[in-house]
Amino acid sequence: MERVIVIGGGVAGMKAALDLRRRGFEVTLLEKSRHLGGKVRKWHCLFPTFTSAAEVLGGLKAEVADSDIEVRLEAEVVSFDNRSVTLASGEKLACGAVVLATGFTLFDARVKEEYGYGIYDNVITSADLEEMFRNGRVALRNGERPRRVAFLHCVGSRDEKVCQRHCSKVCCVTGVKQAIEVKKLFPEADVFNFYMDIRMFGPGYEEMYREAQLSHNIHFVRGRISEASPTIDGRLQIKAEDTLTGRPLKMSVDMLVLLVGMRSNDDNVHLAEQAGVPLAPNGFFAPKDMFAGNVCSPRKGVFYAGAITAPKSIGEVLNEGSAVADAVTEYLS
Amino acid sequence: MTFFAPFCIPFIIGTVSLFVTIIAKWVSWVYYMPRTDRKLLRRGLFSMQTVKGVGEVVCECLLHRRIFRINPLLGYMHMSLAFGWFLLIVVGWLETVAYLGLEPVPLQGHVFFRYFATGISEHKPVFDFVMDALLLFVLSGVALAWGKRFYSRAMGMRRTTKHFLGDRVALSALWFIFPARLVAESLTCALYGGGGFLTGTIGRWMASHVNIEILQMLYEPSWWFYSCALGVFFVAMPFSRYQHIFTEIPLIFLRRYRLLPHEKASSLDKFQIQACSRCGICLDPCQLQQDLGINDVQSVYFLRDRRYNRLKLAVANNCLMCGRCEAVCPVGINLNTLRQNSRDRLRNIPDESRYKYFKGLDRSSGEGRVGYFAGCMTLLTPRTLHSMEQIFKAVGEDVWWADRDGGVCCGRPLKLSGETDSAKKMMQFNKELFYKHNISILVTSCPICLRVFREEYALRGIEVLHHSEYIARLMREGRLKLNNDGGRVTYHDPCELGRGCGIYDAPREVLSAVGELLEPKHTRENSYCCGGSLANTVIGDAQQLRLAQTMSAEFEATGAGTVVTSCPLCKKSIARGTSMPVKDLSEIVAENIAS
Repeated sequence: MERVIVIGGGVAGMKAALDLRRRGFEVTLLEKSRHLGGKVRKWHCLFPTFTSAAEVLGGLKAEVADSDIEVRLEAEVVSFDNRSVTLASGEKLACGAVVLATGFTLFDARVKEEYGYGIYDNVITSADLEEMFRNGRVALRNGERPRRVAFLHCVGSRDEKVCQRHCSKVCCVTGVKQAIEVKKLFPEADVFNFYMDIRMFGPGYEEMYREAQLSHNIHFVRGRISEASPTIDGRLQIKAEDTLTGRPLKMSVDMLVLLVGMRSNDDNVHLAEQAGVPLAPNGFFAPKDMFAGNVCSPRKGVFYAGAITAPKSIGEVLNEGSAVADAVTEYLS
Repeated sequence: MTFFAPFCIPFIIGTVSLFVTIIAKWVSWVYYMPRTDRKLLRRGLFSMQTVKGVGEVVCECLLHRRIFRINPLLGYMHMSLAFGWFLLIVVGWLETVAYLGLEPVPLQGHVFFRYFATGISEHKPVFDFVMDALLLFVLSGVALAWGKRFYSRAMGMRRTTKHFLGDRVALSALWFIFPARLVAESLTCALYGGGGFLTGTIGRWMASHVNIEILQMLYEPSWWFYSCALGVFFVAMPFSRYQHIFTEIPLIFLRRYRLLPHEKASSLDKFQIQACSRCGICLDPCQLQQDLGINDVQSVYFLRDRRYNRLKLAVANNCLMCGRCEAVCPVGINLNTLRQNSRDRLRNIPDESRYKYFKGLDRSSGEGRVGYFAGCMTLLTPRTLHSMEQIFKAVGEDVWWADRDGGVCCGRPLKLSGETDSAKKMMQFNKELFYKHNISILVTSCPICLRVFREEYALRGIEVLHHSEYIARLMREGRLKLNNDGGRVTYHDPCELGRGCGIYDAPREVLSAVGELLEPKHTRENSYCCGGSLANTVIGDAQQLRLAQTMSAEFEATGAGTVVTSCPLCKKSIARGTSMPVKDLSEIVAENIAS
């Protein structure tokens, strides 16, 4: 059987590698970092069930370890086409097909300077908060318990000002999930969500959103925060507009959580050019079509899995891992 | 000798119409001018400026020195037409005087002297030669003008103006005048002899190669054609682009008397608007044209639309007011002020109730001789504000913070969008606030605020400094010591700071102290606009981004590691066009304060 190379060792890449191996292909899984798992490694609990991310990841990793998939860590890909993959070390690996599963990049919140990320204490991103959850210690920089927390949706999503027009899809539900988690940790705290739209697209999401309001008394304000600034007593003052009442509002909070979006990787441009495949205007890889060919590229032998083509939830990404195995099998047989 | 023939009629009609129209225009423009301006005019008339103005008129209206600086060939083309024609008139007059003495000769007698002089048997070869040489000089300009239609790049212009019908008629008439004169004079020489190296030679050739009956048949029509070309041109002139010929002259004097357009439109503006020759030199520098393919809003079209009362708000608003066209305008028209006062006229709707909250408002904090005004955009780029705090702290300056906790806008964004009266309210508020807190220096990190503080606030006893100037001063005074650890940096000149306030050196002085400065291709007076200009309310984000990307490509080409600018708005715009780190000047300074 021919060799299939899967680039990217996140959930999509691992699932694709496993399913390909199960179908009898010789599989090489390339991962740039020192660990398999990708972004999910940094997550604590997953929406909407609060399932532990480690649990989901652990299962996959164990399966990969038990299989005879060749896993190469710290293997950075500089270019590829449908017959070979070239690593940064100069090594060229021959193959019958390539599955690209390099995912996405988290939006750098420092670009939205008006929110003060990296400037003021206690302005954090959703990823930072997840890390706090994992470490089991959510607190302000001075160690105190927050009394009021604001979540801001769509940071680096649906924002022309930072050239990210697309919706990152999963931040809405992440914001609701994290708000509930914060409220559970600090029942006395006021928790606010500032949003443009709440897009609860998946099973159980809308229910979770209702629960957040009914059971947890989390406040949802329709309007984006325009800026954050420090107050004399070390808190943060946020300015926003409540677009449902049509009035501007100012509020002092202890912690501001920025729900950062998913943007395309910087090296997509280079990789796409080398491989001769197109990118969508938002920088993600453009699949052959949006329907039956959504894990295929227009080029034979180059396949996609996961958030490489668009922001997706973990469940969707895992499905694509299986779908791509099917498409590769069809191509190589 | 009589100086009349029927063919002179079109010329006479044209000339009379021209002078009546021009004088009517000038009188009415002066009559409707604001009173203060008329006073300035009266005072200026009898000053040295009038004498200096004459010199400038010769340099600019005849010799076209400024166009020479843009492109020598283009300069020659304009000069040969203007100065050549002028000399033809002057030498033509001398010629009639030389032949006839100082007897009164009507205008057409001078212009069509060759026709009327066929009876004179003696010839003055010097005048024949000089007049032919001048005609050749003008014809070379006409030939270049033709050539420019087909290949403007040879004259350094990638684009030329799209002319409307009236201009095309006048243009065609102008192009025909001198070839027609050549033909008419050559035919005269063929039939009656005389003429210099040009008309004489062509005449002799005609006489020996063409049937004399044909020559006789063409003789009168050729003079009719010449006269008609002149007549049509003169009638069309005050209503077409060629009005500039007679408008630039008073404009030069008015400018010297400090009569410049105001924030409110007035009849004074007409001297500027009608001085535009629609040469199209403003087209190439326009980034809207270059990067976005927008080709109907540039200054030449804006002035044309305004002149013929066809100006639409969408055109007036579609301009970055970056000043790149103003910098190259050979007539020196105050394009940005005209654009701004057009917006004022088209959309100024003051709303008193919006500003009620000003009453008793004072969110400022701290106390000190030095005041700091962040401005709205700096509050949205808090790293700059934070860095300024560190710098003030490092030098031990006591600072009065005008708007750290929110304040009132400086007024310039509203003014740029045409809301002049609302802007005034903000300016008044801030001015009173500055006076109330007894500051002697006002520092701002926003060039937009800086410009309006300097140009409009008239702050007595308060020195207004951009933070780049303030930091440079601290360095010179030895109060601020910096490490040269900033690495290789490139610098973007913000429009409002560079072309707007003429500040190019202070930021460079500071940057050279913290790192190695690498200049991008377009720099200083020639720098690009970041695209984020508040002045343009028409183009969208994607279009702004394209402007930023063009500029960013130049930064990346310098090989620098960091882009530095000194405007919060530019910083935001550049940051989304490049993957390079973008910093405000204050940030790189604060990072390199020597402890």
